[in-house]
Amino acid sequence: MPAYRPQDRRSFLSQIGNGFGALALSHLLSRESAAAGVNHPPKVRRIIQLFMTGGASPMDTFDYKPALEKLHGQMIGPKEKPEGFTAPAGAIMKSPFQFAQHGQCGRWVSSVFPEQAKLVDEMAFLMAMQSKTNVHGPGTYMMNSGFLLPGFPCMGAWISYALGSLADNLPTFVVLPDERGLPYNQRACFSSGFLPSVHQGTVINAALPQPVPDLFASDAYRFATRGSDTAGLSLLEKVNRRHAANHPGDSRLDARIASYELAAKMQLSAPEAFDISREPESARAAYGLDNKATQGFGRRCLLTRRLIERGVRFVQIWSGPQGAANNWDNHGNIQTELPPMAASVDKPIASLLRDLKSRGLAEDTLVIWTTEFGRTPFAQGSLGRDHNGGTFVSWLWGAGIKGGVAFGESDEIGYKAAVNKTYCYDLHATVLHLLGIDHEKLTVRQNGIDRRLTDVHGHVIKEVLA
Amino acid sequence: MFIMDAAMHIRSSQIVSLQLLAAIAAVCTSESTHGAPDFVRDVLPIFEKHCTECHGANKQKSGYRLDIRENALKGGDSGEAAIIPHNAANSPLIRFINGDDPEMTMPPPKSGKERLTAAQISTLRAWIDAGPSWPDEFAGKQTTETQWSLKPLVKPTVPAPGGNPIDAFIRESQSRNGLSASPQADRRTLIRRVYFDLIGLPPSSEEVRAFSEDADPAAYERMVDRLLSSPRHGERWARHWFDTIHFADSHGFEHDIARDNAWRFRDYVIEALNRDTPWPRFIREQLAADFFFPEETSLTPALGFLGAGTFDLSAFGTAPVTFDYIDRDDMVTQTMAAFTSTTANCARCHAHKFDPISQEDYYALQAVFAGILKGDVTFDPSPETARERRRWEAILAAAEKRDAALLLAAEHQPVVEQWLVEHPAGATWKPLVAETFTSAEGATLSRQPEGFILASGAAPERDTYTVTATPGPHSPGITALRLDLFPHDSLPMRGPGRCGNGNLHLSEIELRVLEAGAAEGRPVKIASASADFNQTDWGIHRAIDGDIKTAWGIHPEVGKPHHAVFTLSDPLPLKADSRLAVTLKQAHGGVHLIGAFSLSTTDAPPKQAVARPAELELALRTDASARTPEQRVTIAAHALRHAASDALAKLPPPETVYAVGKSVKVPNGESAPKTFSISEPKTVNVLLRGDFDKPRAVATPGALSALSHLPARFALPDAKNEAARRAALADWLAHPENVLTWRSIVNRVWHYHFGRGISDTPNDFGKMGGTPSHPELLDWLAVWFRDDAKGSLKALHRLIVTSETFRQSSAHRPDMAGLDAGNRFLWRQNRHRLDADAFRDFTLAASGALDLTTGGPGVRFFTATKGPQGTPSLDYSAFDFKSPGAGRRSIYRFVWRSIADPLMESLDFPDLGMLAPTRSFSVSGLQALTLYNNRFVLHHSELMARRCDAETSPLPAKITNLVRIAWNRDPDSTELTEFTDFARTHGLDSLCRLLLNSNEFLFIN
Repeated sequence: MPAYRPQDRRSFLSQIGNGFGALALSHLLSRESAAAGVNHPPKVRRIIQLFMTGGASPMDTFDYKPALEKLHGQMIGPKEKPEGFTAPAGAIMKSPFQFAQHGQCGRWVSSVFPEQAKLVDEMAFLMAMQSKTNVHGPGTYMMNSGFLLPGFPCMGAWISYALGSLADNLPTFVVLPDERGLPYNQRACFSSGFLPSVHQGTVINAALPQPVPDLFASDAYRFATRGSDTAGLSLLEKVNRRHAANHPGDSRLDARIASYELAAKMQLSAPEAFDISREPESARAAYGLDNKATQGFGRRCLLTRRLIERGVRFVQIWSGPQGAANNWDNHGNIQTELPPMAASVDKPIASLLRDLKSRGLAEDTLVIWTTEFGRTPFAQGSLGRDHNGGTFVSWLWGAGIKGGVAFGESDEIGYKAAVNKTYCYDLHATVLHLLGIDHEKLTVRQNGIDRRLTDVHGHVIKEVLA
Repeated sequence: MFIMDAAMHIRSSQIVSLQLLAAIAAVCTSESTHGAPDFVRDVLPIFEKHCTECHGANKQKSGYRLDIRENALKGGDSGEAAIIPHNAANSPLIRFINGDDPEMTMPPPKSGKERLTAAQISTLRAWIDAGPSWPDEFAGKQTTETQWSLKPLVKPTVPAPGGNPIDAFIRESQSRNGLSASPQADRRTLIRRVYFDLIGLPPSSEEVRAFSEDADPAAYERMVDRLLSSPRHGERWARHWFDTIHFADSHGFEHDIARDNAWRFRDYVIEALNRDTPWPRFIREQLAADFFFPEETSLTPALGFLGAGTFDLSAFGTAPVTFDYIDRDDMVTQTMAAFTSTTANCARCHAHKFDPISQEDYYALQAVFAGILKGDVTFDPSPETARERRRWEAILAAAEKRDAALLLAAEHQPVVEQWLVEHPAGATWKPLVAETFTSAEGATLSRQPEGFILASGAAPERDTYTVTATPGPHSPGITALRLDLFPHDSLPMRGPGRCGNGNLHLSEIELRVLEAGAAEGRPVKIASASADFNQTDWGIHRAIDGDIKTAWGIHPEVGKPHHAVFTLSDPLPLKADSRLAVTLKQAHGGVHLIGAFSLSTTDAPPKQAVARPAELELALRTDASARTPEQRVTIAAHALRHAASDALAKLPPPETVYAVGKSVKVPNGESAPKTFSISEPKTVNVLLRGDFDKPRAVATPGALSALSHLPARFALPDAKNEAARRAALADWLAHPENVLTWRSIVNRVWHYHFGRGISDTPNDFGKMGGTPSHPELLDWLAVWFRDDAKGSLKALHRLIVTSETFRQSSAHRPDMAGLDAGNRFLWRQNRHRLDADAFRDFTLAASGALDLTTGGPGVRFFTATKGPQGTPSLDYSAFDFKSPGAGRRSIYRFVWRSIADPLMESLDFPDLGMLAPTRSFSVSGLQALTLYNNRFVLHHSELMARRCDAETSPLPAKITNLVRIAWNRDPDSTELTEFTDFARTHGLDSLCRLLLNSNEFLFIN
C-alpha cells in the first residue's frame, strides 16, 4: 500500500482498509476515541437525522413560489419525459396551501407545518439542494452515502468509523425506520458498505416490546434463563481468558472477551434506555403519543431524545416506508396526501427540538431534516407531483448552526436549483466539519480508490454555521 | 470500534509494517525534505482540482499537461520549462497561478474557474523550492516498466531447488530479513486448519483421532487429496468467488426483487470448482459459454456471472439511458476486478488517475456488454433437446414468415403430406338454432335476419350469455361446437366485439346437455380448442382452461369475421329431445363482450373439426393439382406449425437461470414477468466526464491498451454479433500473455489460504493497490499455474496447502514479531476467525443438524410477507427450524441483497451491493449479543446437547464428547471439572451455548 504516512487514527485506518491490520484493543473499549479522529475542535458530538421518505415537496412546504400562482395551468415543462420521471410533465400547479412569513427572519412556511414554523429562527435552511437522479433508490442512496450505487457506507457508518462511540453500553448508530416498513433500498440505506459491519446502523423497531434484537434470549429457549445467561457469560470469560493466555500476541482474542463485557453492559442499560413508558405523561403528550396521527413518529422522536441523552452518537429517524402510500411520494394528490404526512411529523419535531434545548442537549447535538429529492412544479395527473432531483430543501438545527438563515434559491418555479446550489456532498462535508472532521481527510481505500463520504466533491457550507 | 489482526502491532513494533515503510520510502524520493509538502497528499489534489481538467489526460490546452511528470516539468507549447527545480519564484507555473502576468493568469479569469487560494499557492511554492519531489509511481505514463503487475511474466528461478518452491521463496525472504519459519503445527491443529480451508467444515472427532494416530508421513497429503475431491470443496470455494463478484439472489436497490432462478449459477460454480475446470475455460464459460460451447447447453448457467450484480428495476423502467450505462458499469467493474484485479471503473469520468486506463478503454469495455440484458433466460440442459428445440423453432419462424424455400423443402414434405391425410377439408357444420338466448347483465340480444345473434342496448363491463337449443338426434354424437363471430355496422370498429376497439374476451365457454326430465344439465367436457386467429398471449385455449382470469381475444384483427372450434372429449350422443346449453362467460371487464355471434355443431371426426383461417380452408378445398404456389405455402406453413407446436410441447420443459441474454424476462415480483429483447448491440459513447448528457465518440468493443502485446480493440467482422464481443474479451482475459489474469488468480487463491494475498488488494493491482510482499513468488506461481498446472485450481491449492509455510504453527513468537509484526514474511501461519458461513456450518455440524444435500433452489432462512412495495418484508427471527432444508450449508442460503441475515451480518458477511474481495473483521457488543442470544445459536445449542443426551454415558464423558466436537480436542481436567459443575446447574444446553461462543470455537489456529 503506497502513499500516506499514518498520521492520525483515520489515515491509519485507511491504510489497513478492510484487510489485516492492527488496532489497539482500546478502540473497542474507549468511550470516545474521537480525540484521535478529529482534525479540529468539534462543535457537535451527536446527530439526529430526520429523513422524509419519498421526496418531500419543497414548493408545498418551505419553498414559497408565488410565480406558480401566475403560471398555474400552463404547459411550460419539458416536452419529453425526463429520465426518472414516472410520467410526462403536466401543467404548472400552484401549491394548494397558504404560505405565511414566520419568525424574525421572515421565513415563508406553508400551512402544513404550523409547529416547525414557530422555530424557523433557530433553523438554517438549504433552499437549493440538488440530487443527481429522479429515482428513489439511487436518490436515497445518494443522500445517505453520497453515491448513487449500493455498497457504500452511509453517513452514520462513516461517523461511527471515524469517531467511535460516546457510550459503551448502547449502540453508536441507531436507525428508527417507520414501523410500517423500511425505506427504499431496505436496510442497505444503513449499511456500513465496505467498512466493518460493526459500523452499520442498528435497526430498532420502536413499536416492539424488545426493540434491540437479540438483547436477551427468547423465552422459547427455557434453558437460557437469566441465571444461566449470567453464569454462562462468567464461565465464558474464564474460558476465553485461558485461551487468550495460551495464544498470546493476538488482541482479537482480548477484543472478543471485551465484547461480551460490553454486551452485558448493554443488557443492563438498553431496557431502560428504550423504555419510553418511563417518560411522564406530559412528555408523551408533547411528542404526540396521545394522537394516532403523530404517535408513530412521535414515539421515534421521544425514543431518540432518550438515546441521544444516554450517549448514542447518531440516530436516524425515518418518516414513511417505501411504496405508494404513507410517505412523501405524493404522485396522486398533493392536497390530500401531503397534509397527513406533514401533520404526522410536525408536532413531534417541534417538541423534540424544544426538549433538546431545554435539556441542554442542543449544546452539542445537530438535527438534520432532509429527504431524497424534491417534486415537480408541474402536475402529475392533475393534482400530484412527480419526482424532481432539480431542487429540494433541507434544514439544520442545533449546535454550530446559525439560526434564521437560508442558503441558496431555486428558480422562479422551483424546478431547478438556481443560486448557491448544494449537493449531499456539501451537506455531508458540513456535518463532518461540525464533528471536527475534514471531509477530505476521512478516507478508506477500497478497490483502488481512497473513498470518501463526499466522493471527490463537497464544500463546507460556512453560511449556515454559527 | 473494531480491530484488525492484532499480531501486527503497528504502533509498538520497530519495523512497523515493512510493506508500509517500503511504500513510504518509494514515495519520498531522495530529494524530499522533511516538512516539505507531500506530492500525493498536498500537491496532487490541487492539480486535480484546479488544473488537470484543461491540462490533463482529456485536454492539453497550450500543449501543457500536469498529469505526467515529464510534461509538467518541461512545459507546453511555449517551449519554456514550467517548473524550475528549487526555484518557485521563477517557475512559470507559480507566476501563472499567482496572476503575476495579467495576460497569462491561471485558471483564466474568463473560464469562471475558482482561483487557487493563497495557501494552495504557498504549498506549491514550498513543494517546488524543496525539490520538487514527484514520486515515480505518480509520474504518469505508467508503463509495463514501472507497474509491477504489468511487467512481463517471467518464471523466476527457485532460490533453493528441491522441496516445495513456495517454501524456497518464503525462506529466502525470511533470511533476508532476519526471520525464520515456525515449526509445523501439530496434527490436531493441522487437520482442523486444512478442513476449514478446503471444505469449510470441521473434521469429526473420529477423523481427528485417526489423523493424529496415523504414522504415515504421507497421511497429510492423502487427506488433502481427499478433501480436494470432496463435493464440499466446491461449496466452500464458490463462496469466495461469490463475494468477489457480488453474486446474490435479489436485485438490490429500491425494488429488491427475488431472483428465483439465480441458484443455477451458484450450482454451476460449485460444480465447475469440483470438476476443476481449468481457469481459462472458467473465464470463457462465464463470459461467453454460448459462443464458445454452443453444443454444451448445460453450461448456460455460467452466464449468471454477468448477472451477478445489482439491478435497479426502477431506473430500468423510468430512466433507461442512465440505467444502461450504470448497469454495464457494474458488469465492467466486476469482470475486470475479478479476472484482472484492475479498477477499470475508475476511468468512467476521466482517465484513470493512477493506472494506465483511458476513458476510451473503459467505454470499449462497456461496448463489450452493449448487446445483453440481465434477466431470466431459458435453456435446455440436454444438447439433443436444445437441437430439437432450435430445429422446430426455426420451422415455426419460417411458418410465421411464410418462408417458401424452407416450407416447401423436400425434407418437410412427408410431414405436410401426412398432415393433409389427417386433416382433410373442413367438417360440415350444422347451425344450432337458438331457442333461448339471454344476457346475465341486461344487454339486449336479438336474432338477426342473417341468423346470428346481435348484442345491443346496455353495455355492461362483464357479461355472460346463455344459449339453449335442441339439435335433434345425433348418433354416435356431435364431436365439436363452433362459435362464429361477425362484424356488424352497429358495433365499435365494426366489431365483432363491443369494446371500443372492436375486441372481445371470451373468458370461458361451457357446454351442458339437458335431458328431458333431468333436474339439471350435465357438463360436457371440451378437450381442445382452435381459432382462426389468436391475439398475442390471448389464445383460444385460455377460454377452456378453467381460469376465469384468462381469455381469448382477436385484437388487432377487428372488423372481420372470426371463428373458434371446441372439440369434445368424446362424441356426445343426443336424443330427439336433448337440449344443449352453451354459456359464454366474458369476465375480463372493460366491455370486452361479444357483439355478434352464432353457434353450430358437427359430427365430423375431431381432426376435421378445427377452426382454420379462411385462406387455409380455401386451399384445402382446392384440388391438390389446382393449388397455387401461395396455397401450397399456406398449407405447408399450417401443417409444419402444428407439427412444430406438437414437437415442442413434447420436449422436456426448458430450465431457467438468472443470467444475461438477448431476450430475457426481468423478475419484477409478479408471476409472469415481461420479456425484454435487444436485437443488436446498443451504441456506447465515450461520455465526457461520465455525463450521460455529453456523449462523445462512439466506443468500439475492446479492453485495456496497457497490455500492449494484446490487441486493445477487438477485430470483429460482424459488429452486430454481440456474443463475439464477449468472446473476444474472454479470449483477451484468458490469453497466456495476459499477465494480469495469471497474477490475479494465484494471488486471490493465496489470499484465502493465508488470510492475505501476496498483494493484499486482490481486486486492485494498480498503483493504489498493495505492492506484493513476494513478487518473485507471485510470478513463479502465476507461470507455474499457467504452464505446469494448466490452470488447475486444485493443483494450486494442493501446492499451497502442502507447503511447510502453510503447515507451520500460528503461534506467536515475540522475537519474530519484533521484526515483522504484520507477519508479511509468513514466519508463522495466520490465525483466522471463522467467517460467517463457516461459523454457521460448523454450528450445524456440531449440533448434528447439518444436511449435506447439494444444489437446488436457495433455502429461505426467513419468513416473507408482503411489503409496502415489490420487496417483501423478511423476518429472519421467525424461521421455522423444522422446515425442510433448515440444516443446509450456508452456500445454499437464499441471499437477499439488501435485507441481510442479522446472524451472518454480525460476523461480517459482506454487503453484496459491491464487490467484496476480502472480508472485514468486526468485534462489538452487538455481535456478542447476537452470538449469545440469536435463535440459531440457541436452537443448535439445544440440538447439540441432545445429541449427547441420547447417550447413556456419565456427564463428564458427554462433556468430553461435546468439547471434542467444538474444539477438536479433549478437555483438560480443570475444564472438565468446571464444565461438569456448570452443566449440573445450568444444563448441557447452556454449556453448548458457551462452547459455540468461545474463541476456541471461532478461531482456527
